[in-house]
Amino acid sequence: MSSLNASLATALSGLEAEQGSIAATTNNVANVNTPGYSREEPVLVTSDPVVLTPLTFGTGVTLQSVESIRDPLLESQIQQQTQAQGQFSTLTSALQQTQVNFTASTSDIGTAISNFFDSINQLSTNPSDLSLRQGVLTAAGNLATSFNSTANNLTQQRSSLDLSVVQAVNQVNQLTQQIAQLNGQISNLQNLGESAGTFVDQRTQAIDQLSALVDVSVIPSDKSLTLTTTNGSPLVVGQQSFQLQTQSNLSGLHDIYSQGADITSQITSGQLGGTLQARDQQIPAVQTQLDSLASGLATAVNTVQAGGFDLNGVAGTNLFNPSPVSGVGAAASLSVAITDPSLIAASSDGSVGSNGNAEQLYALNSQPVVSGHTPTNYYSSIVFNVGNDVANASAEQSASALVLQQLNDQRSSVSGVSLDEEAADLVRYQDAYAASAQVVIAINDMMNATIAMPTLTG
Amino acid sequence: MRVNPNPLPDILAAVAQTRQQINTDNQQIATGLSVNVPSDNPAAAAVLVQNADQTSQADQFQRSIGSIQGEVQNADSTLSSVITSLQQAISLGVEGANGTLNAADRAALVTEVEGIQSQLLSLANLSYQGNYVFAGTATQTAPYVLNPSSPSGVTYVGNTGVNSITLGNHFTLKTNLPGSQLFSSASTDLFKSIQDLITGLQTNTGISTAVTEIGSASSAIDSQRAFYGNALNQLNSQQTYLSSETTELAQQQNTVAGADLTAVISNLSTSETSLQATLTTIGQTAHVNLFSYLK
Repeated sequence: MSSLNASLATALSGLEAEQGSIAATTNNVANVNTPGYSREEPVLVTSDPVVLTPLTFGTGVTLQSVESIRDPLLESQIQQQTQAQGQFSTLTSALQQTQVNFTASTSDIGTAISNFFDSINQLSTNPSDLSLRQGVLTAAGNLATSFNSTANNLTQQRSSLDLSVVQAVNQVNQLTQQIAQLNGQISNLQNLGESAGTFVDQRTQAIDQLSALVDVSVIPSDKSLTLTTTNGSPLVVGQQSFQLQTQSNLSGLHDIYSQGADITSQITSGQLGGTLQARDQQIPAVQTQLDSLASGLATAVNTVQAGGFDLNGVAGTNLFNPSPVSGVGAAASLSVAITDPSLIAASSDGSVGSNGNAEQLYALNSQPVVSGHTPTNYYSSIVFNVGNDVANASAEQSASALVLQQLNDQRSSVSGVSLDEEAADLVRYQDAYAASAQVVIAINDMMNATIAMPTLTG
Repeated sequence: MRVNPNPLPDILAAVAQTRQQINTDNQQIATGLSVNVPSDNPAAAAVLVQNADQTSQADQFQRSIGSIQGEVQNADSTLSSVITSLQQAISLGVEGANGTLNAADRAALVTEVEGIQSQLLSLANLSYQGNYVFAGTATQTAPYVLNPSSPSGVTYVGNTGVNSITLGNHFTLKTNLPGSQLFSSASTDLFKSIQDLITGLQTNTGISTAVTEIGSASSAIDSQRAFYGNALNQLNSQQTYLSSETTELAQQQNTVAGADLTAVISNLSTSETSLQATLTTIGQTAHVNLFSYLK
């Protein structure tokens, strides 16, 4: 048969188990607002029974472990979506800055083109008038300035995006270092057979942060974790982190290297992916279109100039300085070649009052002088492209934000701390603890009663 | 399934979205436009660029019309004066052809006709805002200069250039006729006919022939004057057309990018109501949990 001492031990196991459970609850309550924290649940199991033939007695309860409740599949989906979110929100805000240059204003390129041709039409009414000629030069100057400042803004924007590339790479390196350390702590604890829940939470949090920066593939292995970029460059292998390097290239922008290999073009998502996409693809595409517009317009105007005569009856010379042959940098370098208004070749026959060539210049605004488009139509297609890029990036951003929010919801419904649950658990554990304590008191009474029994004397 | 114990991020995201909507609505109300940056509606933004260009062109055409209207009007009224002067010369010629006049009377007529001759010279050398109107495109030089050795007494030093100017998308207008065509063409030369009259009066021969010459010169100018009258009419109707085009462009701009204020204001009030309701809910429910009831 069982003994009072055995019962005392059983009651004690109850006290200990409830205390442990209350500790888990307390920790949950304390971490209710900790980002990335997964709630912990005590795992209670009945202790091995004692068999005293023919009877079997239970020996109480054991707090086997305290487990963090999480869904690894959900976590990996969150990481994926965080990458997309990082990419598109960065891209959206970069392109929104770009489109400021193409928003209708009194000094945007479209207005400057209209004003330039308007000034030529006005000159056509009185081609020998010097103030009208000066008006054309001024409008041409404004047109050049408008191209210059837009082109410079785009270059400036690429430089500042380049700065954030370098910053993002530094952040990536810090996080991978941190994750490698956490990998070490986790495997040490797991080797000791202990729960590493808190460190796993921290590592998950760090991987989430890393995912916001760069595209990451997570390859879980036994007791450890390997992280690579999607194209396979290693970031963390077990307890070792691999740093990414940045190096300035010929155009003064930074390329990203992993283990000596240039992986710049292979980084496609996360904040870094979005920044690179804006810096290396979207903004350069706009620059190229601006250059085509500037050089197409300048070349066409110069050609017509050459076919006419200025106020002195001399064949016309360039109105704009010729664009670079390659076309690259045409918008940034567009400038007016003449300062003397009498040099505008308005005349088609050398006489001062002829407006024939001014009319030819004016006609350029409805001729396909830029890649088969009129100048204004070409500009409007740039505006469309820029607007469309922003709209697309922003739509992707909203969509991924929504998905990410839903995934976080799900994670929270699996791993989040519910104060209602914790309160209820606390009541349960408290009651059970009180009951076990009462059992101890009862056994104590019984012990006392036993001790106080009169001694049998023979 | 376990309920998400922390719905606040969701609610806050919804609040942020509502606030964003309120900002957008407010901007649309302030600017009256639904397209404030290209990404609001890229296709509409592209249309707006073209619309702005066309509007700018139409405004410029109006200014250009204003600039040349004066010159054309001046040319027209000058030609009218030329015709009046020629009528006077004809009257004088008819008077001179009357056989009862003596040499002294005719000499007096010659003086009068010479007055008309110099008047015509100055009319043909009309200058408007620094440009000689009847000089072709050689507008900086007076087209007719006195030349006693010439049968007409003058020489035309202008050219035959004619300017056309674009004043609409598919509308160009010729704005001048050179003096060589108006006053001194091979068939009818105004100055020669006047010179002939003077010579006729001086010699008392061929006066009637000269009068006939002047008559045909006058009717030739009268028929050419239609060019300027016509140009003025075309300018007027183009002005009317351009202002209706400007109105249409403004309407197009409004259709493409105007904010539907009724809808925006109604959206705004819906958003504000929903924002208030959400914030109230957060305030009332977020801090309630079982711990609040444990004693």
